Amino acid sequence: MKIEGLATEHFIESIQKPRKADSSFVDVLKDSINKVSEIEKEADKEAEKLARMETQDIHSTMIAIEKADLTFQLMMQVRNKILSAYEEIMRMQV
Amino acid sequence: MGMFDVLAISSSGLKAQRNRLEVIATNLANVHTTRTAEGGPYKKKEIVFASEDVSGEPFGSLLKKKTEGVRVEAIEESRKPFERVFDPGHPDADKEGYVTLPNVNVMEEMVDMISATRSYEANTNVISATKHMFMKALEILK
Repeated sequence: MKIEGLATEHFIESIQKPRKADSSFVDVLKDSINKVSEIEKEADKEAEKLARMETQDIHSTMIAIEKADLTFQLMMQVRNKILSAYEEIMRMQV
Repeated sequence: MGMFDVLAISSSGLKAQRNRLEVIATNLANVHTTRTAEGGPYKKKEIVFASEDVSGEPFGSLLKKKTEGVRVEAIEESRKPFERVFDPGHPDADKEGYVTLPNVNVMEEMVDMISATRSYEANTNVISATKHMFMKALEILK
């Protein structure tokens, strides 16, 4: 088996490169959480409309709620993964 | 959002079938109606569907998107002939004693109703399948 050393110059280059401010990980996370909350608000609105008997279709309310549920579950899964990665790092020996 | 396109398509299908049931209800309610605003007996209504882009993307149909939902194109009057029944006592009977009844066949409407119900069910099943696939994809992370 051929073992290659780390290409140090590329590695250093990559960590020293200034990250683009508008696409940081935090921003992406924030954006997606905002989107989830937007979809949830939509579901809320639909449920309210159904309660006031303003909507014609029950199924559109159900689909809005289902959409909110699915996006929320997706967000939770991503959150769990991020937290487990964080915990993994915290467990690292120093 | 791309991953929810299926839901939009199924939603349009559900709406179409609900409208179809509305038309069937109208026909069944008017099965013996002999007087209408335009004169003559009630004419059976038929619903006509057309495929439609429901992705919400502007110019989606111009971008040759192959997936399409459905919309109600029109509700038109059936061309079937009226039924004539001998009933001289009826206020709307003609000189020979015949009454012209609507061209609605109750049996046909019932069969259409079953078809509408089953189609609605099929669309809800697509929604369940979409949800199931989504949840399975989430399980990859677990």
